[in-house]
Amino acid sequence: MLGSAAAKLGQTLLVLLIVSVASFAFLKLAPGDPVSIMLGSDFSQGAYDQLVHDLGLDRPMAVQYWHWLAAFVKGDWGTSYITSQDIFELAVMQALPVTLTLAALSLLVALVIGIPAGVLAALHRNSWVDVAATALAIGGNAFPSFYLGIILIWVFGVGLGWFPTLGFVAPWEDFWQGLWHLVLPAITLGAWYVGLIARITRSSLLEVLGQPYIQAARARGEPGWRVVWVHGMRNVLMPLVTVIGLQLGGMLRGAVMTEVVFALPGLGMMVTTAVLNREYIVVQAGIMLTGLLFVVVNLAVDQTYQFLDPRLRRRT
Amino acid sequence: MQTATIQTAAPLLEVSDFSLHRGAAAVLDRVGLTLRPGETLGLIGESGAGKSTLAMAVIGLLREPEVGLSGSLRFHGEELTGLAEARYRKLRGNRIGLIFQDATAALNPCYTVGAQIAEPLRRHLGLSKWDARERAVELMTSVGIPEPRLRLNAYPHELSGGMQQRVMIAIALACNPELLLADEPTSALDVTIQAQIMELILERVRALNSSAIFVLHDLALGAQVCDRIAVMYAGQIVEEGPSAEVLARPLHPYTRGLKSCVVELGSEDLQPIPGQVPPLNAMPEGCRFAPRCPKAQDVCRRERPAPETRDGRQVACWFID
Amino acid sequence: MSDATPMPASAWRRRFLTPIARQRTAMVGLAILAVYVVGALLAPWIASHDPTAQDLMAALQGPSAQHWLGTDSFGQDLYSRLLYGARLALVIGFASVALGLVVGVAIGLAAGLIGGRTEWLLMRITDGLLAFPELILAMAFMAVLGLGTENLVYALALSFVGPFARMTRSDVLQVKSQPYIEAARLMGVPTAAVIWRHVLPNVVSPILVQGGMRVSIAILLESGLSFLGIGVVPPTPDWGLMIAEGRAFITMAPWISGVPGLALAILLVALNLVGDGLRDAFDPSTQRE
Repeated sequence: MLGSAAAKLGQTLLVLLIVSVASFAFLKLAPGDPVSIMLGSDFSQGAYDQLVHDLGLDRPMAVQYWHWLAAFVKGDWGTSYITSQDIFELAVMQALPVTLTLAALSLLVALVIGIPAGVLAALHRNSWVDVAATALAIGGNAFPSFYLGIILIWVFGVGLGWFPTLGFVAPWEDFWQGLWHLVLPAITLGAWYVGLIARITRSSLLEVLGQPYIQAARARGEPGWRVVWVHGMRNVLMPLVTVIGLQLGGMLRGAVMTEVVFALPGLGMMVTTAVLNREYIVVQAGIMLTGLLFVVVNLAVDQTYQFLDPRLRRRT
Repeated sequence: MQTATIQTAAPLLEVSDFSLHRGAAAVLDRVGLTLRPGETLGLIGESGAGKSTLAMAVIGLLREPEVGLSGSLRFHGEELTGLAEARYRKLRGNRIGLIFQDATAALNPCYTVGAQIAEPLRRHLGLSKWDARERAVELMTSVGIPEPRLRLNAYPHELSGGMQQRVMIAIALACNPELLLADEPTSALDVTIQAQIMELILERVRALNSSAIFVLHDLALGAQVCDRIAVMYAGQIVEEGPSAEVLARPLHPYTRGLKSCVVELGSEDLQPIPGQVPPLNAMPEGCRFAPRCPKAQDVCRRERPAPETRDGRQVACWFID
Repeated sequence: MSDATPMPASAWRRRFLTPIARQRTAMVGLAILAVYVVGALLAPWIASHDPTAQDLMAALQGPSAQHWLGTDSFGQDLYSRLLYGARLALVIGFASVALGLVVGVAIGLAAGLIGGRTEWLLMRITDGLLAFPELILAMAFMAVLGLGTENLVYALALSFVGPFARMTRSDVLQVKSQPYIEAARLMGVPTAAVIWRHVLPNVVSPILVQGGMRVSIAILLESGLSFLGIGVVPPTPDWGLMIAEGRAFITMAPWISGVPGLALAILLVALNLVGDGLRDAFDPSTQRE
């Protein structure tokens, strides 16, 4: 028990190490010479060498990596050349909360639509409800989020004028206004997840409903809705969480697109702008942060899994 | 046995001319049975004979439109086949209990055993959460689960197979049902505890003064634990009567075949029944046992024998000796 | 699955064609895909205009006899750009997956067969690739490599290497433990021959299925990156670029983004249908109802 927890921790640390090495390597591989960028257009060789030495760029890679990592852990992520903003402040305090809020709301939208759609499809298997839900699932899963966002802006933002089309208002500053601005982005990003959730709900529920314990619940006189939503869905949660966790990459992919379409100042927007501006130090922060996020979410999914499935829980 | 009183009391369960179709195939074919209060009945037959199907139909887990039903199922004189689902739900787990064959599969892995025992108590008896818990502890004690208060919060996978089946029994008997259906309650268990569990069920049934139907494939076991036994073959009841008599003097050739399959120490007449049960979609027209019957004549292949009453037993055969 | 001799045509039909043909929705997807492939192949002949010819006098026009699907803000013909865009999307999609597959399978084979330190190092590199979402990985590679069509293929391919490498390695380890591999080795069959005759045929079908399912992701990423401005460069006829360009004119000229947007959506649906069909046909463990 203790051994497996230690192994898990070791594995996580190893992945974190790899993530940091990859992020460090990225900056080394990135084109352009940061020293000449910092010095501007006119400088002497002596000044150049001096700066290289001051920055520690003449030291062995391993030493440079170590210094970089130490600074990173301390939150000293450098300053943007363009906006002179502290990058830690920009990435962690500003961009990350936006992306997390968007992701959480989208997941909520997807669950609220996807689970009932999947349950209906499973209960009315091979009926028109099933066909409609499956079509919704395939369509939602395949429709590119950046084009869906544009359509939603066109129809509900510009055409009907129901929702704001661009920009971000922090819900923690103005809750309703913030939520208002996030409705269309959340639907855009959620649409992709709806399909996934509906499909996995349908197929898992069909499998679960064939299990003897469902018959046993009915034999106890449980009403149909409780058999499905309590006895059935409780067992569907595990595959559902697994798939949501596994598809995190897709979620992030959609989040980047959605942020750019709706001009939300999240991580995706930050990285995209930084790539376009060739501001590699900011890109690096984005890479490191998404890598960390990935590790953390995977750990969280793992924990949730143990929480949801008593068979995986440690005996007390 | 209080045979005299049983004979005179109004029947608890009356199955008459009951058929169950899956598509065109008759899984149960014109089955007739009567069970009186306090009586135990063994449904004996090979797998696929329709024993479990009959039990599932009685508790209403196999209903229209999933399957086709005809004939009648009466519980306390109330017709069950067309009963409204809401009304049927009030019987299930309350006045009719069901013990599943494989408790491991029949207990929801995500809920504690306490929660699953408490469920019918709260639903049918309207007990509060606290009272249901207390009652669950009593029930667990009554089915021989040690340290019930501790086990209340255990998940099914934390218990042994025998303990899981005891939980299953506690659930089925939670509301003191008048009728208990036990579908091969011990066949998934280790041989060493099979007798214990069987004994436990019988003891509880007697204590509650309930009736019970045991679905079994072992004729000798059935005769040992039940007042009466009904032998099923390919969806039909071929012979039915008091256990001791059926075992001692089987009238139907199939029952006789079953009996000779029972290996007794020192006996030499172990004669397996030749052939196998015909598939449901290719049932013979006349007696369904005719293709395997050593005594089959033309009439057997042509016409289905109607159940005949003889010495308090029902036998469906053209040639009863 | 244990026969490793080259399969005769009838076996191919039984193992690959019949299971696919049985999937009705997959056949619909395949039919749609075929339309796209034909359009892409015949683009030079059936296009009405040069896809990059600008005509500012004819900008922002709706569909007409001259321009079947209208024009964009530079007066480029959308129908012609659509056809050439299909060409680009399919080429980038399939090429990047193929490249990623080859590199990934090579890494996986090497790791699984050599073992030891090589395996450890290769699998840590794989872990590194898998530790990031594909899009971020592709963006990072684009930042290092620079913009352009060719670099986009490399960036996408690199971001696909991880899953293929991991899959191949675990398949190889599984196959390696089979008694018949040991038997072949004992009989003195050279290692390379064992890989070629016995290991590869057994890992090939799950990997091809995985590859087939990735093509739609590749096309989505390709158009997405181009939409963000981190992919191919204008005036290349690319759907992502076209959608980005039409975004500003969504109220005046919705067809500018609508034409490539719908084309992309339909292609992705078709590819997903084919991918699901492939999976259902060859991977019984994940079969849906």
